[in-house]
Amino acid sequence: MRISTFFYSLGQGFKNLLRKKLFTLASVATIAACLFLFGLFYTILMDFQHVVKTAEEGVSVTVFFNEGVTEEQINQIKIGIEERPEVSQVVYVSSDEAWESFSQEYLGEYADGFTENPLEGEDNLEIYLRDVSRQSALVTYLESLDEVRMVNRSEITATTLSGVNQLIAYISVGIIAILFAVSIFLISNTVTIGISVRREEITIMKYIGATDFFVRAPFVIEGMIIGLIGSLIPLGVIFIIYEKAIAYVEEHFAMLSQVLSFLPVGEIFATLVPITIALGVGIGFIGSAVTVRRHLSV
Amino acid sequence: MRRDRRMRDVPSDNVITMDHVYKSYAKGAAALNGVSLQIKQGEFVFIVGDSGSGKSTLIKLLLRELTATRGYINVLGYDLTTIKHRKIPKFRRNLGIVFQDFRLLKDRNVYENVAFAQRIIQVSTANIRRNVPSILATVGLADKYKSKPSQLSGGEQQRVALARALVNRPLILLADEPTGNLDPRNSWEIMKLLEQVNQNGTTVVVVTHNKEIVNQMQKRVITMKQGVIVEDEENGGYRDED
Repeated sequence: MRISTFFYSLGQGFKNLLRKKLFTLASVATIAACLFLFGLFYTILMDFQHVVKTAEEGVSVTVFFNEGVTEEQINQIKIGIEERPEVSQVVYVSSDEAWESFSQEYLGEYADGFTENPLEGEDNLEIYLRDVSRQSALVTYLESLDEVRMVNRSEITATTLSGVNQLIAYISVGIIAILFAVSIFLISNTVTIGISVRREEITIMKYIGATDFFVRAPFVIEGMIIGLIGSLIPLGVIFIIYEKAIAYVEEHFAMLSQVLSFLPVGEIFATLVPITIALGVGIGFIGSAVTVRRHLSV
Repeated sequence: MRRDRRMRDVPSDNVITMDHVYKSYAKGAAALNGVSLQIKQGEFVFIVGDSGSGKSTLIKLLLRELTATRGYINVLGYDLTTIKHRKIPKFRRNLGIVFQDFRLLKDRNVYENVAFAQRIIQVSTANIRRNVPSILATVGLADKYKSKPSQLSGGEQQRVALARALVNRPLILLADEPTGNLDPRNSWEIMKLLEQVNQNGTTVVVVTHNKEIVNQMQKRVITMKQGVIVEDEENGGYRDED
C-alpha cells in the first residue's frame, strides 16, 4: 500500500466521523459508557483481588514436629518446603517465640505465673501460601514427612477464598463478554449507517476499480478511531474519580478501611490502560471489519 | 456450432466478445436470451432498444457487476464467466463508465470528483495534480475545477462524469444513457466528446434512447428487443418499431 493511500484512507476515516457528527458522538459516548463500566468493574475487581490476596497471604499452615527432631532437621525440611511453587514464605517459630506470642496475646500479666515454657518442644514452621487453592496438596506433602507430628490448617478459609476468587473470575468473564458484544453491536450500527450514507460513493469506487481493501479501509479506520476515543474517555474519568473515591471511603467508612486496602492508581492503570485501549480499538476493528464485509458486495 | 474453448482465449482485435449469453434474475424473468456479439478495438457502438430490452443488463454484465446465467463473456482478455473476485478491480481499471444520472459526489468539487478516480487506483498525488487539470481541459471545464456539482448545469455535470471516466485512460468507455437527462444542445456536446475520445483509440459503447443522435452519427447500431439482438448494423440508425 502506498503511503499516500494510507493517508487517504486515514483522512477518509476521519471525514466519515465528521460527516455524521451526531451519530459519531453517540457511538463514542456509548462505547465510552461500556468501557467505563468495564474499567470501573476492573478497578473494583483489582482492589477486591488485592484484598483477597492480602487475606490469602495471612492464611498459614502450621507444622509441628515429633519429639526429638532437631532444629537442624527442621531447617532442612524448611528448605524443602520453600522450594515448592505454591509457598511464598516459611517462618521458623521456636518454642520460646511461640510461648511469648501466645502469652502476650492471651495471658498478659498472668503469664508471669509460669516459670517454665509450657510449649517446650513445640517448635514449628508457619507456611504462607501464594495460592490458597493448593493448600491441600501442600498438606498432603507435609503429612507424608516422617518428622511431622501434626499439621494445622484452615480448610474453610482456604476453600472460601479460592471460591471467591473463582467466582470473581467467572463474573469478570461474563461482564466483559456482555460489554464486548454490546460494543461490537454499536460499532456495527455506526458503520452500517456510514455505509448507507456513502453507498453511492462505494458503488462508484467499485466501478472504477477500487480493491475491497481500499473501500473497507476508511470504515475500519473509522471504527478504530471511535473505539480509541471511546476508550480514552473512561480512562480519564476513572483516573480522576479513583483517588477521590478512595479518600471518600476512608473518610466516611472508617470501619471498612481497616479491612479493605486499595491499590495505588498507577498500579491499576499499568494494566487497565493497555487492556481498555486494546478492547476499544479491537472492538472498533472487529465491529467495522465484519460489518463492512457483510455490506460491501458490489 | 460449439466453439473450442481454447480458441476463445486467443487474443484478437475483439475487445468484447459475448457468446450465447443468458441472464435470468431470481424472479425467473430472463433479461438476456442468448446474446452473441463482438466489438472490435476502436469501435463506436450504439446499443438501442426499448425499456426492458436487456440493454442495462448487458452493460452490467460487461462491467462484471452481474454474472451470466449461461454463456461466455470476454472483455479485454478477461473471461468474465470465470474471473476471480480479487481480479475484478484490476479488470475494471481498463473501463470507463458514464451514467445517465452522472453519479458525482455532491460534497466534493469538480477537481476532487475527478481526482477521486485516480486516488482509487493509487496514482501518486504528483501525477493526479498533472492529470486532472489536463482532462478537465479536454472536457472544457478547466475553469470550473472548484465548483461543486450543485453549481453546474446538467451538461457540465455529465462532462465531469466523463472526465472522471477518462482520467484513468480506459480502453473501453461504457456510457449508459449519457444524454438521458440532458437537453439537445448538451446531448450533442457530450456525443461530440465521446466521438473525440473514440478517435483517440478508445472503444466506446453507448446505450441510448436518443433516436436523433443515433440516426445522425451513423455508427454501428445494435438493436435489442426482449433480451435478444434483433439487428446489428454498421452505419445504422434507430430501428423504428413496426
